[in-house]
Amino acid sequence: MALGAGAEYADARAVVRRSQFVTTKNGRVEQLADAESEGIGVRVLVDGAWGFACDRRLSTEGAREAALRACAFAKAAGGRGRRALAPVEAHSGSYRTSVDRDPFAISLAEKVELCLRADEALAGPDVIVRQAMVRAQRDHKVLLSSEGTDVEHELVECGGGIDCAASGDGVYQLRSYPSAHVGTSEQGGWEVVERLGLEREAPRVAEQASALLRADVCPAKLTTLVLDSDQAGLQVHESVGHPTELDRVYGTEASYAGTSFLKPDDLGSLRYGSEHMNVTADPTTPGGLGTFAFDDEGVPAKRQPIVEAGLLTGFLTSRETAARIGAGAGGSMRADSWNRMPLVRMTNLHLEPGEGRFEDLLADVDDGVYMETNKSWSIDDKRLNFQFGTQIAWEIKRGKLGRMLRDATYTGITPEFWGKLDAVAGPDAWRLNGLTNCGKGQPGQSAHVSHGAAPARFRDVQIGVKA
Amino acid sequence: MTRALEVGRAALAATEGEAEVVAHAETSGLARFASSEVHQPTLIDNVVVTLRVVRDGRTGVASTNRVDEDGLAELAQRASEAAKSAPADPDFPGLAEPAALPRVKGYDAPTAELGPEDQARGAAEAIAASDVPVYGFFTSGLSELAVVSSTGLEADQQMTDAMTLVVAADNGCSGYAEATSWRAGAIDPAAVAREASEKAAQTNGAKEIEPSTYAAVLEPYAFADLLQYFSYDSFGALGLLEERSYFAGRLGERVFDERISIADDSLDPRGLPKAFDFEGSPKRRVELVVDGVARGVVWDRTTAKRAGNGASTTGHAPPQGLADEGPLPSALSVAAGDAESTQELVERVGDGLYITRLHYLGVVQPREGVITGMTRDGTFRIRDGKIAEPLVNLRFTVSVPELLQEVHGLTREVSLVNASNFYGERYPYGALVPALATARFNITGVGSAPGI
Repeated sequence: MALGAGAEYADARAVVRRSQFVTTKNGRVEQLADAESEGIGVRVLVDGAWGFACDRRLSTEGAREAALRACAFAKAAGGRGRRALAPVEAHSGSYRTSVDRDPFAISLAEKVELCLRADEALAGPDVIVRQAMVRAQRDHKVLLSSEGTDVEHELVECGGGIDCAASGDGVYQLRSYPSAHVGTSEQGGWEVVERLGLEREAPRVAEQASALLRADVCPAKLTTLVLDSDQAGLQVHESVGHPTELDRVYGTEASYAGTSFLKPDDLGSLRYGSEHMNVTADPTTPGGLGTFAFDDEGVPAKRQPIVEAGLLTGFLTSRETAARIGAGAGGSMRADSWNRMPLVRMTNLHLEPGEGRFEDLLADVDDGVYMETNKSWSIDDKRLNFQFGTQIAWEIKRGKLGRMLRDATYTGITPEFWGKLDAVAGPDAWRLNGLTNCGKGQPGQSAHVSHGAAPARFRDVQIGVKA
Repeated sequence: MTRALEVGRAALAATEGEAEVVAHAETSGLARFASSEVHQPTLIDNVVVTLRVVRDGRTGVASTNRVDEDGLAELAQRASEAAKSAPADPDFPGLAEPAALPRVKGYDAPTAELGPEDQARGAAEAIAASDVPVYGFFTSGLSELAVVSSTGLEADQQMTDAMTLVVAADNGCSGYAEATSWRAGAIDPAAVAREASEKAAQTNGAKEIEPSTYAAVLEPYAFADLLQYFSYDSFGALGLLEERSYFAGRLGERVFDERISIADDSLDPRGLPKAFDFEGSPKRRVELVVDGVARGVVWDRTTAKRAGNGASTTGHAPPQGLADEGPLPSALSVAAGDAESTQELVERVGDGLYITRLHYLGVVQPREGVITGMTRDGTFRIRDGKIAEPLVNLRFTVSVPELLQEVHGLTREVSLVNASNFYGERYPYGALVPALATARFNITGVGSAPGI
């Protein structure tokens, strides 16, 4: 239909999504929701101009009308008639997340019970808010293109987390496990949630929240900083993932999320960090939220180095941006639902492990700070100047963790900061963390992205806020 | 009858017993452009039905966009199953009863009728008006919200909105402007682009400054963004009950300069008006800060019952998908001041900073209202009461209460600043704010020069 209406290229993505979300707070069920959404999105290229339209009806009529409206929008918007797409062999295939326990076969009552048990286990002195949540999502997705692509995915992800807030004497502190911001998620079945051990971890989380009320405020100074794998992953996300999205490099995200300090010709020449810095984009990572067989343009999944021994060696690309730079074939295009256009997105972006244990990282620090679990994050539109805060920190004295610290923040400039990386712990300390709130695009889209990282050590970092 | 109300009635009819339906329909188009060329034009048409079922005080929620007979029957089954899975909540206030709703504006038939050609034309007008490459969008949409309940409550509203947003940027320069209205005819995309372009032209050759505390003029874009982030923890009832609000223990106290009065007012026709919230309760104007004194927060029926202190809903129930965030303001409105213009504020500041907009804010300490972020697309030094040299983007870490405790003034004119970003289902909202001059804006770092 789209080709008949003048499109030189068209793809259609039909998606059926089912999701469940349970949250309990202070012993009450706060949210108990079972959602489904389905529809088809059609993207066309007409005389070099993109168009996208969607229809919630999964029917021939819905697809036809979406195609015609997409073509009409493309023609109305117009363009400069010069959009090339990197050539991709048309693939047929399917991919299904490996699932031990179907999360939708687990009753909502069981999910509620799990949350309430974890919620109860968070009770403790000074704790005023206890919260537990679990989630499950299944996407059944079919992508067809005018070039012959015909691929199907069934992606299942699950996750959960606990949070608690303690308050006293005008001080308010948060503590979460395994991560803040709706816990963590992985592709997989209900076994993902069971592995988290939310109830088991709750007493420690509550105890730390309470202890933070009496902890000293993290000082402001230049010092050695050790990040846990959670915060190291977020550091990768914000200061490596986003700036290496090639659409940002070309400015097409300038009006919202921002651009990048990188230029296309930095590829292969820009020193991003120290020789200890190795970052890989890997849409084949087991359990990754960005794991698939083909992206939303039908490009096969492929592991790709982004930074090797501190040198920029890769960008995250679409077929269009790959053609512009004359390198690669895309492979990072994803849309957050049937009613949004695919965008260049992180898949699974990892800080590759180094060697040794977490304790070995500390052993080589005479005076420093260890920070754990992200609390706040902010970075400029070119992804250079950042300030992050963590929920908890400890001073490091003579190779050992010392007193607990609260309100910890650190700041830096991206390549300078990564240049100070002098060690990453080894594979045994490497953890995969999945986040579900990566915003981009207009209209807005939230991507689900995973990051693997081990604790990492940086020298001479500015911590705290200089008065 | 609106499409949302029709679907809402059908969903309720397909459900037995105590139940509430929220139907949310959207028809919209967004022509996004970059480097002065449309690159992501998106047309959306969807309707989402959210059903809340109550069984002996136990509630369950399900949603779908399959609104045929089978889809709604399955929806009822899933919501009932969810309700059976939850223990009864002693604080559940019951479903809302019918209530008289305020008459509000916010619907404009010509805006509702705009199609892809019109949205593309809006983008083209912005593109044509700027000598500097532009990045942004023109969008318009029709949103319908209906709440239908077994209590007999029926509320429905059609809302239109249109927006032009432009970042004008080239090597070493960038400027920003936006305009939002529920009447597309009130928006001039070319004027927005010119404002952004003229601002960009002033930002070439940006200099660095030393981190320190400066007096500053914040344009409405910047002030609205800061206030919106502060509101997430401090202006909602849940934040108050959970003690993360700056207002916890401070209601009735002087918290800001006496020139600061803040309300949440969804009824104001200058904003993006709403008649009711996501459980069908009437919207009320809520005084949050009056003459610098903390007066209240916004409530829904759940938090009002939980508080048990005589509080009642102010019409701020969130959609079920955001229930854990509790009621939040969606129409912040800051009282105007006495300054004739931002230029007069600049004169009052004398020596300081001029900030057009902010970027990527993060809440560092909710209880103290400490927020960090960057300036963007138009930061300048103020010297001798005049805008002087352009500055690079600056990192700030400010306590919003401190920033609002020492104020040099606010402009007479207020602007509507959009806050929606168009995630999920379209629900236009924004803040009406003047420009602000403060004595305390804490710069904690320097970033990159403006521009692409």
